[in-house]
Amino acid sequence: MNPAATILRRASNGDMKHDSTPSPPVLNELTHRREFLKRLAVIAGSTALLAEMPWWSPLRAAPPGDSPADRVRVGLVGVGSRGNLHLTNLLRTPGVEIAALCDDYDPHLQAGLAKVPGAKGFSEYRKMLDMPGLDGVVIATPLNLHAQMCLDAFSAGKHVFCEKSLAYTIEECQAIANAYRGSKKVFQIGHQRLFHPPYLRALEFARRGEIGDIKQIRAYWHRNGNWRNPCPSPELEHRLNWRLYRAYSCGLMTELASHHIQVANWFLEAHPLSVVGYGSINFWKDGRELYDNVNLVYRYPNGVHVIFDSLISNRFYGAEVQIMGPKGTIEGETGRLFAEKPPPAPGIVQLINSLEHGLFETIPIGGPSWVPDLKKDTKGIVLGNEHTGDDGSYLEIVAFANAIRRNEPIPNMMEQACLSGVAVLMGQTAMEQGREVTWPSDFKV
Amino acid sequence: MVLPGVNAVTGEGLADFADTHLRSQERLMSRFNPNSPVSELNRCGANEAFAPPPALWKILWQCREHWQRTRGAFDITQWPLNRLWREHLERGEPPSDDAINETRARTGMERMRFDASSRTIKFEAAGQGIDLGGFGKGYALEQLAVCFRERGVARAFFSFGESSVTVIGSHPHGPTWPVGIANMFHPETSVHSFSLRDASLSTSGTAPFNQTGGPQTFGHIINPRDGRPIAGYRTMSVTVPNAADAEVLSTALLVTAEADRAEILKTYPNVSAIEFVYESRGNDFAPRIQWRYET
Repeated sequence: MNPAATILRRASNGDMKHDSTPSPPVLNELTHRREFLKRLAVIAGSTALLAEMPWWSPLRAAPPGDSPADRVRVGLVGVGSRGNLHLTNLLRTPGVEIAALCDDYDPHLQAGLAKVPGAKGFSEYRKMLDMPGLDGVVIATPLNLHAQMCLDAFSAGKHVFCEKSLAYTIEECQAIANAYRGSKKVFQIGHQRLFHPPYLRALEFARRGEIGDIKQIRAYWHRNGNWRNPCPSPELEHRLNWRLYRAYSCGLMTELASHHIQVANWFLEAHPLSVVGYGSINFWKDGRELYDNVNLVYRYPNGVHVIFDSLISNRFYGAEVQIMGPKGTIEGETGRLFAEKPPPAPGIVQLINSLEHGLFETIPIGGPSWVPDLKKDTKGIVLGNEHTGDDGSYLEIVAFANAIRRNEPIPNMMEQACLSGVAVLMGQTAMEQGREVTWPSDFKV
Repeated sequence: MVLPGVNAVTGEGLADFADTHLRSQERLMSRFNPNSPVSELNRCGANEAFAPPPALWKILWQCREHWQRTRGAFDITQWPLNRLWREHLERGEPPSDDAINETRARTGMERMRFDASSRTIKFEAAGQGIDLGGFGKGYALEQLAVCFRERGVARAFFSFGESSVTVIGSHPHGPTWPVGIANMFHPETSVHSFSLRDASLSTSGTAPFNQTGGPQTFGHIINPRDGRPIAGYRTMSVTVPNAADAEVLSTALLVTAEADRAEILKTYPNVSAIEFVYESRGNDFAPRIQWRYET
């Protein structure tokens, strides 16, 4: 058992159950969370963990007290659905002050301000960046706005948390990476799986060789719904449903595939060399421009392929990342490991052992209880029973706040952001142009 | 499944065959599969005639014969009672006498009418149903052993979840297959050893642990004669040539009073059986032989 995982389980110890209760007293909840983060800090300091997941290093810090000197002042740009989740998590993070909220859609802004009465409201993010005393910004806006906002925030001397996917074009990804390199500021990307404990365990099992060398990854994300936000009037359609229109987004690729491709890059320790794929609109023919189903094959080094498909007209299979090796399969989203050859029941092992050694001995095997001994491992090993009640979206915010307080960059984050950010844009181009798209050889993280 | 002296290619082929065979048996007999003929039968109302497929008719007819031969101790219609007890004990209280009696009115193979001419079955009461869990494993294993023998397999050891073991021939280094009955509380040790040759062994009992090693909330076997679970931690292990017979007898003997067991065994030749009772000794439980039978 990996000590990190053990302590993580101990750290979680039930107190995060509060996530599902509607409105626990904030102070009590913060006390609970401080306790949780204090225990988490112990494991985040483990060298074994940090060797594999250096981006956990900000979580080594014990949670701050209430002193103003410890306070990190953050502004949030984009108070839509994802922005609201970040807002909730920022409110739960010890030592964070939400100093400003910004949204050019006033109903979202007002709803956000109602939750954070002390925050200053802005409709233009540049004005927010001019606000004195702001340490960092959290960007949760449509994809096409990410790059300019990141660049402006870095040049205003702010630390940056940017929602995935990184940017709208490969050139923009490069520009953000360049600006970051010169900034000495913290950068965090919203790839929450990097902070999700079952993925931590999955990585541990994979690196330990439990499934053998990874030979294929099959990932899929299936939903059944039109993927629309309610829209009070037609002229707001593009602003509120930007995920459906090409001028703002790459749809399923940037909004869903980016997570799974990030996991693939992480587990394979590589970026894709090229990609081919097809996409179409075959169900939601409602005027949208972006595909409602995509099917892609990414080629990685050593002949390994990553297959991704997504559709929003059938949800039977849900979402999964299946990481396959000759000895087993890891299912990342549900946190399970399936052995190709599960160990047989102990009695059978003993019997085979005695046969092989020419022994004629009694094996204690008969009993009233049922011992499953299946040819195929259908149940698997549960990798993530650390019930933190968090899919990593909370810890990624805590890591961001801690990194700002410690004024230390979060290692590897920009790399993770670029590799998946570029890969999904390659995929979109491959589908739109009907050709194989190769990794941009001049790209520099 | 252990096949000594069989090469890998032949072994894989036999394993695939066993897999296919057992899955088709499960499709036929599982009450958890809503599309199985057993589930169809269980959905029938009172006096609704159901014509099972021939393979299931054969199984049900055999179950009826075992029910008669065991004088009602083996009964495939008991699971509404099991469910009643399980649900109550998981809440921490036994069911009331009224609830037991009400449920008993929906159990018992005497309320399951077989029409041999039309090959149809009717339940007399609404809410009746069958569960082949205590028979199906043995039946499937027996058929599998027959097929393997036909394919020339001279030695084999089948363990169906350890509670049912069937062997073909003998151990490669001895005249029989020595199979131990594991101590429920110390499974690495045997409390008794059977010498099996072309025979089957089945163990039934009230286990203290569930499948994952946690404490068992309800591991009891219901006595069809009074609708109540048998008391204490006990196991009944039976060896007999036929795997289905072994399965039937391990449960039937367990719920039958010692004095009445010999009568049942008159109709089953070549049986060896042993019953253990586990008695509390400080922090541990010690096995004691409660009853033994040799043909």
